[in-house]
Amino acid sequence: MATIDWRIRRLAQTVFTVWAVTTLSFVLVRLMPGNPMGAMVRQLEQQGVDPVRARQLVELRLTIDPNEPIPIAYVDYIVNVLSGNLGQSVYYAEPVTQILAQAMPWTLFVLSWSLFISFFIGIVAGALMAYWEGGKFDVGLTSWAILMGSIPYYVLAFLLLIFLAYRLNWFPTSGRAPTGVPAGFNWPFIKGIVHHATLPVLSMLVASGVASLGMRGNSIRVLGSDYLRVARLRGLSDTTISTQYIARNAVLPMYTSFLISIGEMFGGSVVLEQVFQYRGLGYYLLAATYQRDYPLMMGGFVLITVAVVLALLIADLTYGLVDPRAGGQNSDSY
Amino acid sequence: MTISQTDYESSSAKGETIMEIRNASVSFDMERGDSRVLDSVDLDVHRNEVLGVVGESGSGKSMLASALLDAIVDPGVLTGDVTYYPKNETPVDVLDLDKQELKEFRWEQVSMVFQGAMSSFNPVRKISTHFIETLNAHDYNVEEGMERAQQLLRDLYLDPERVLDAYPHELSGGMKQRALIALSLILEPEVLVMDEPTAALDLLMQRSIISLLQQIQERYDLTIVFITHDLPLIADLTDRIAVMYAFEVAELGPTEEMLERPAHPYTRLLLKSTPNLESPIDEMQPVEGSAPDPVNVPTGCSFHPRCPLADDTCKMNDPEAYNVDATHHVHCHHWEESADAIPMTESSTSVESPTDRIDRPTTRATRRSGDQPLVSLDDVEVHFEKEKGFFDFFSDPETVKAVDGISLDIYEQDAVVLVGESGCGKTTLGKAAVGLQRPTGGSINYRGEDIWDVHDSGGSGTLDWGEIRRSLQIVHQDPGSSLNPHRRVKTSLEEPLKRWHDDLDGNDRKQRILGLLDHVGMSPPEDYFERYPHQLSGGEQQRVAIIRAMLMNPDLILADEPVSALDVSLRVEMMDLMIQLQEMFDTSYLFISHDLSNARYIAEKTGGRIGVVYLGELVEIGPPEQILHNPQHPYTQALRWATPELELAAGMGDDQTGGSPIRNIDIPDPTNPPSGCHYHTRCPEAREVCKTDSPASYQASDAESHRAACFRTLEDHEYWNSDSIVDEEESFDG
Repeated sequence: MATIDWRIRRLAQTVFTVWAVTTLSFVLVRLMPGNPMGAMVRQLEQQGVDPVRARQLVELRLTIDPNEPIPIAYVDYIVNVLSGNLGQSVYYAEPVTQILAQAMPWTLFVLSWSLFISFFIGIVAGALMAYWEGGKFDVGLTSWAILMGSIPYYVLAFLLLIFLAYRLNWFPTSGRAPTGVPAGFNWPFIKGIVHHATLPVLSMLVASGVASLGMRGNSIRVLGSDYLRVARLRGLSDTTISTQYIARNAVLPMYTSFLISIGEMFGGSVVLEQVFQYRGLGYYLLAATYQRDYPLMMGGFVLITVAVVLALLIADLTYGLVDPRAGGQNSDSY
Repeated sequence: MTISQTDYESSSAKGETIMEIRNASVSFDMERGDSRVLDSVDLDVHRNEVLGVVGESGSGKSMLASALLDAIVDPGVLTGDVTYYPKNETPVDVLDLDKQELKEFRWEQVSMVFQGAMSSFNPVRKISTHFIETLNAHDYNVEEGMERAQQLLRDLYLDPERVLDAYPHELSGGMKQRALIALSLILEPEVLVMDEPTAALDLLMQRSIISLLQQIQERYDLTIVFITHDLPLIADLTDRIAVMYAFEVAELGPTEEMLERPAHPYTRLLLKSTPNLESPIDEMQPVEGSAPDPVNVPTGCSFHPRCPLADDTCKMNDPEAYNVDATHHVHCHHWEESADAIPMTESSTSVESPTDRIDRPTTRATRRSGDQPLVSLDDVEVHFEKEKGFFDFFSDPETVKAVDGISLDIYEQDAVVLVGESGCGKTTLGKAAVGLQRPTGGSINYRGEDIWDVHDSGGSGTLDWGEIRRSLQIVHQDPGSSLNPHRRVKTSLEEPLKRWHDDLDGNDRKQRILGLLDHVGMSPPEDYFERYPHQLSGGEQQRVAIIRAMLMNPDLILADEPVSALDVSLRVEMMDLMIQLQEMFDTSYLFISHDLSNARYIAEKTGGRIGVVYLGELVEIGPPEQILHNPQHPYTQALRWATPELELAAGMGDDQTGGSPIRNIDIPDPTNPPSGCHYHTRCPEAREVCKTDSPASYQASDAESHRAACFRTLEDHEYWNSDSIVDEEESFDG
């Protein structure tokens, strides 16, 4: 094969994408009106500090020079990032890596549960809808799925918050962990964080609507396929047919949409964590944006970009394992 | 298999029944009413025979196939009796079996090969897995079974190691179909039901599979029920043929009888309408009318609306089976008169036609030689590079040489038919000839000017790109997708007139279009004028597409398989129409076809030429009588062999009774074509020199326009002293 292995090419594309997004975010962040200096001075002024004094105080704390020309600041930043240093948060006065490292697990916790639960519901519902195609169950679930697909997750979040948290007091209204419980591997704490994560996870389940419609379409296509008919005639067992023939082929296209929705959910976490005051990645990202905290904003953007691009890379590289037809150009087809 | 006297004797000796169908009906409950897609069919299948079931699309033949395995898809309901007679055991009532018994019956006793081999394998599992799971599901010994699978695959000329280890998408269509046949035989069934098993394949592959089936049938002692729309294809495979019309069996008899003395008017008309190589073209006539709708089958004999013999009895009474003789049954009240009413050879009228046929081409060819060609292709190459990524700076991309150095001249009022297997580059060549595909090498001249020079320079005064675009038109294979579904017929047809005849006013345009619609048989034209494409049948859509191309007043039309999407009985009609329009509009055709009998029909009627394309090269071109009766290139001979004949053994030439003239069933990979003569890997005449030297185009016979790219046309070529590379062992003979 004369061409470069497509996997290497795909990897290079990934690196290129991360670099391009980082550069673009860097320039946009710097071009935003205001800067960290102004934001902090304004805050101190509101607390009654004399403007001149406030400016001096801020200059003492500031670790970056907001007035540095963009190209120079950019080169500095890239060099630092490549050596693993995302800078010092202006607002929290802590290393960005440290803030992100302690926020990331919380976001991942909510995200992974949302993803798994919504895709599980979606796939099961979709398969059942296809099985009873045209029946009451199908019609009912299709309407449900369309409803779920058309509600924005943050509207659902507010509704859940109003009814389940404020009115019924079943769930906490904000936060990510119970107060007064020592963090650690103990039952009250685990119960507490699950309790706090329930509403954010529920709001994200809107994704299951789209997933179930996709699964329904895929399953109907597989159910009508010739190879299924031949398999039945060959007398294969129902288990083999339903797992190896129907499920395997119907779930295949869902695999890509699963990994793509990781990206969507990261984006959604910014608003969601604000609604629930859930101190995860998105929460800090928004706070950093208010404060024009350049290093923290950039750190958040880079992290999300890397996560999404990696998810897509994994999807591409592993799709060949689940679907032999996508084995790349290296398969010696004849 | 040639049905000689002895064969026929033995086939009647083995006339013991293995499957018996009595009064079988299949009905679907549809919104428009109850739809009967199989109507009280009685049929016996004899042990070890090959029974052909022939019918047009929608005649219920696939339902009959499914009924044999009690495998009608929901919501169809099968009633009647299907009885299976195992050897020395008690008969089995197939429709009475419970789930477990049915599972054992299917595939172990009767198995089935579907039309859609492309989609009959689970795309995510290897071929070997399909064999293993089938063996497991029926509690067969897997090791023994896989040995049998390997032997079956070898018998079907496949490499067992390679095929078993492949995923379905890695195999070509023909390989998949053969692997599917092997899979259906893995449990050693007695009966094999094949539902259009070759319809999606190239002619050469179809024919190769048919000859393999003959061997397989003998080797494994099979009874085969072969269902097809293509009567000539199975003429020398089958022992008996059943013709189906409107969900019933119209006629059943021994193959020889059915071909030579068909008794049902439909069979006679069907045989006459089928394009083939032998019967004089003037005798080919379409079957008038169309097949009935399953919800609304005519009363009495369902063929009566289309039948020239129909009278009041036919309208009232559904004909029972009349016995022509002990083995030949026909469902027609007037079968005794059919032979006189519908003569198979119109001896009285066809006397002058042969001379007519031979005269025309010669006169044209002489006239042509002095003329300037209309479109001239000079050493045209179209190479496609395989997808090239952003980071592929350093590597050489792979190229597919779709067209690899073809020269061809097309004259005024000419017709050239390009024939070849799929993927040989004939469509690409056609598109290049009408300026829809820019060649990567060589030139295409329209009236002496290079069209791509004109395109780049923006016109040279006498000729601009728009003029070329108007003169070179295309008619696609699928009329349904070449008409804009949101535009009425009138809008589609007015467009070219508005563009090129702006002197006409609205009424003139309308009159002109109405006249044309009427002329092509779409009457009343006022009605068709206002219709949308989906309100037209396939044949009507194709007519509109042809008229649309004609209204541009083109000099050359590329017709890419214009009839292959149509039902067999409509093809001759459509080709006649196109030929008639050629004379009317004074245009030239470049036809593309995969079917030599269609090619022959058009080329003979228009006095044109047939060009044979193989792996991007034009291997032979010439007038149809030379290509058909005096083919010089071995590939043309193979195509000739692959084209089925209606006549049996007596009508066959020497090359027909012998085995297959190809050594290798599968086409080589076009990204890496063989060196030297591309055909040497399959050619039965290949010698050492063919591996290294590529033949040029040589004069092939006395006919002026007959040329072939094969060393064998030269008397003093080093080929004749070269060693043969044909290994007798490897050769595939049918």
